[in-house]
Amino acid sequence: MRVRNGCPRSRMRRTDLLRSGAQGLLSRRARTLLTALGIAIGIAAMIGVLGISSSSKAALLARIDDLGTNLLAVQAGQSIFGDDAKLPEAAPAMIRHIPPVEQAAAVSSVDASVRRTDLIPSSETGGIAVTAAEPEVLDTLQGAMDEGRFLDEATTAAPAIVLGSVAAERLGITDLRQGPMVYLDGHWFNVIGILEPLPLNPDLDRAAFIGYDVAKQLFDTKANATTIYLRTHPDQVEGVRSLLARTANPQAPNEVQVSRPSDALEAKAAVDANLTRLLLGLGAVALIVGGVGIANVMVISVLERRSEIGVRRALGAKRSHIAGQFLTESIMLSMLGGVTGVALGAAVTRIYATRQGWLVNIPTEALAAGVGAALVVGALAGLYPAVRAARMDPAEAVYPTG
Amino acid sequence: MTPVLELSAVTKEFPGNPPVRALDGVSLRIESGELVGVVGASGSGKSTLLNVVGTLARPTTGEIRLEGRDIAKEPDRVLAGLRAARIGFVFQQFHLVAGLSAVDNVATGLVYRGVSHRKRRHASAEALDRVGLGNRGEHRPNQLSGGERQRVAIARALVGDPAIILADEPTGSLDSRTSDEIIGLLLDLNTQGATIVIITHDHAVADRLPRRLELVDGRIVSDRQVAGVAS
Ligand SMILES: Nc1ncnc2c1ncn2[C@@H]1O[C@H](COP(=O)(O)OP(=O)(O)O)[C@@H](O)[C@H]1O
Ligand SMILES: [Mg+2]
Repeated sequence: MRVRNGCPRSRMRRTDLLRSGAQGLLSRRARTLLTALGIAIGIAAMIGVLGISSSSKAALLARIDDLGTNLLAVQAGQSIFGDDAKLPEAAPAMIRHIPPVEQAAAVSSVDASVRRTDLIPSSETGGIAVTAAEPEVLDTLQGAMDEGRFLDEATTAAPAIVLGSVAAERLGITDLRQGPMVYLDGHWFNVIGILEPLPLNPDLDRAAFIGYDVAKQLFDTKANATTIYLRTHPDQVEGVRSLLARTANPQAPNEVQVSRPSDALEAKAAVDANLTRLLLGLGAVALIVGGVGIANVMVISVLERRSEIGVRRALGAKRSHIAGQFLTESIMLSMLGGVTGVALGAAVTRIYATRQGWLVNIPTEALAAGVGAALVVGALAGLYPAVRAARMDPAEAVYPTG
Repeated sequence: MTPVLELSAVTKEFPGNPPVRALDGVSLRIESGELVGVVGASGSGKSTLLNVVGTLARPTTGEIRLEGRDIAKEPDRVLAGLRAARIGFVFQQFHLVAGLSAVDNVATGLVYRGVSHRKRRHASAEALDRVGLGNRGEHRPNQLSGGERQRVAIARALVGDPAIILADEPTGSLDSRTSDEIIGLLLDLNTQGATIVIITHDHAVADRLPRRLELVDGRIVSDRQVAGVAS
C-alpha cells in the first residue's frame, strides 16, 4: 500500500465507491425501486411534455410550411370615421404589379343569400356568405376541389356556384351526381364544385363562390374587392407586406388591413409553449418531491447503517470516504430514476406522437437535461445525509446503543 | 525493538456534569507477538481503552505510540490510514454487512487500502481458510451461526496482516463452547505471530490468556504475565 512520510494512507478505488453505492441500493431493493420511481415520474413527465409539445410543434410548423407562409390578405378596414372603408377598384391590379407578388386574386362579398330551395325563407342564410371570386382564388389559396371544378373564365358570367366545405355541408350537398342547384334571391345556380377545407382560411369554408360578372349582373355587386389574397416570393414576404397598404389604397393607406393567415396557426404553436411551461413546472415539482424522497430515504439509511459506518471507519475509511459512499448511493439512486424516467418519457412521446400521426421529435437536449437533472437532484439530496454519515463518531457508531 | 503499542499517562474524559473520567493515567507497553487480556467490571473503561488505542477516539491527555509513532494528535486522515494498514478490529456484535457474502465481508478489510477487487477476494479466501471457514465464503451472514460470524469478523481483522488486532468482548454474544473455540482460534493466530488484545469480563476466557490487565475505574490495577497458560 502507499506510504507517505512513513505513514500508510487510507485510499479507496473509484470502482469500490461505485460498488459500495450499488451494494447499498441492492440490499434494499424495494425501497430503492420505490424511491427511484419518484424521480422517474418527474423526469418522465418532463420528457413527455417536452417531447410531445416539440413533436406537435414540429408537426404544426411542417404543416404551416406546407401551406405556405407567403400568403397575405389585404382587406378594407374602417375609415377614420368608423364606417366600412372600400378598396379602390384598381387595387388588385396595383398589387399584381409589385414584382415579388407571384399571384393575386380578389373576392367581394355579394348581397345575396343562398338556400337549398325557394321554399326556405331568405332570412335563413345558414351563415353562408355569397362571395364573388376571381378564378385565380383557388390557386392563390392553394385550395383543392373535393368535387367538381372551380370557377373559370367560361363560368364567370354563368349561374354557376362553388361551395366551401362547410357551406356544402350546411346545404346538405355532398356530391354533384344529381346536378344539385341552389337558390340565390330569385335565381337558380348550378353547383359545379365543392372545395376541400382551406386550413389557412377557415372563414372561406363558409363561403359560396360565384363569378364577378354574374354577381354584377344579378346582384349589383361593386367591382371593389373586399379581400385580395396574394402569394409573394417566400423570401420577400415582409418587404411586400410593408408595401401593401400604400399600393392598395394610396389615398388612405391607414384604411387597409394586411394580415398573414399563417400567423394565426403559428400563434397556436406559441399558446402551446405556455402550456408546456406550466406542465414542465409540474414535472419539476414532481422531481423536487422525488429529491426530497431520496434525501429522506438516505437519512434513514444513514441511521440504520450506523454500525456499518462505524465498522468502515474502523477498517480505515476516512470521513470523505464515508461521505463519498452515501453521496454515490444517492446519485446512483437518482440516476436510476432519471434513466428510467427518460426512457419512459421517450416511450410515452413515441406512442402519443405516432398515434397523432406526427414525426417523433424529442430534443436530444431534453434527454441530456433529464439525466443531468437527476444527477443534480441526487447530489443535492445526498449532501446532507452524506455529511451526517461522515460526522458520525466512529467509537459511538460501533456500539449498538448510545 | 520498538513495542507495537506504548501508552503513557493516558486519560480520557467524557464531558458531563461531573465529567466522566473513563481512563485515568493508563501506562502500558505491548510487544509484538503478545496476547493480552483486558478484564474489568462493566464501566471500568475497557472499551474506551480499546477505542483510544485503536484511534477511534482521542485521549484527553497522554501519549500513545503505535509502532513508535505518537498518534495522539495526528489528523483524522492519518489515523484512518493507520487503521486501514496497521490495526484490526473484532467486535462483540460481529458487525458484518448483511448484504455481503462472507468473502466480501472479509474483503472490506482491504477496501481502504486501495487493493483491487480481485486481489481482495483472493486474500479474503485465504483469511477465511485460516479461520476454518474456507468452504463458506459465498454464504451470507444470516446463513452462518454466531461462532461462524465471529470467525468471519476475525478473518476481516487479520486479512491485512495488521500490527495489532483489538477484540472487544469477542465472545460476549456466544455460548461457552463456541466461545472456547473462538478463544482457541485467537490463541492459534497468536502462536502464528499475531499481536492481539482481547477485552473480556469473562474470567474463564481471561484464564486462558498469557497476560492479563485488570482495569478498575479507568486505572490499571494489575498486569500479570502468567507463564505456560498458552496451549
Ligand atoms: N461517549 C461517552 N460519553 C460519556 N460517557 C461515556 C462514553 N463512553 C463511555 N462512557 C463512560 O465511560 C466509562 C467507561 O465506559 P466503557 O469504556 O464503555 O466501559 P467498559 O467497556 O469497561 O464497560 C463508563 O462510565 C461510561 O459510562
Ligand atoms: Mg465495553
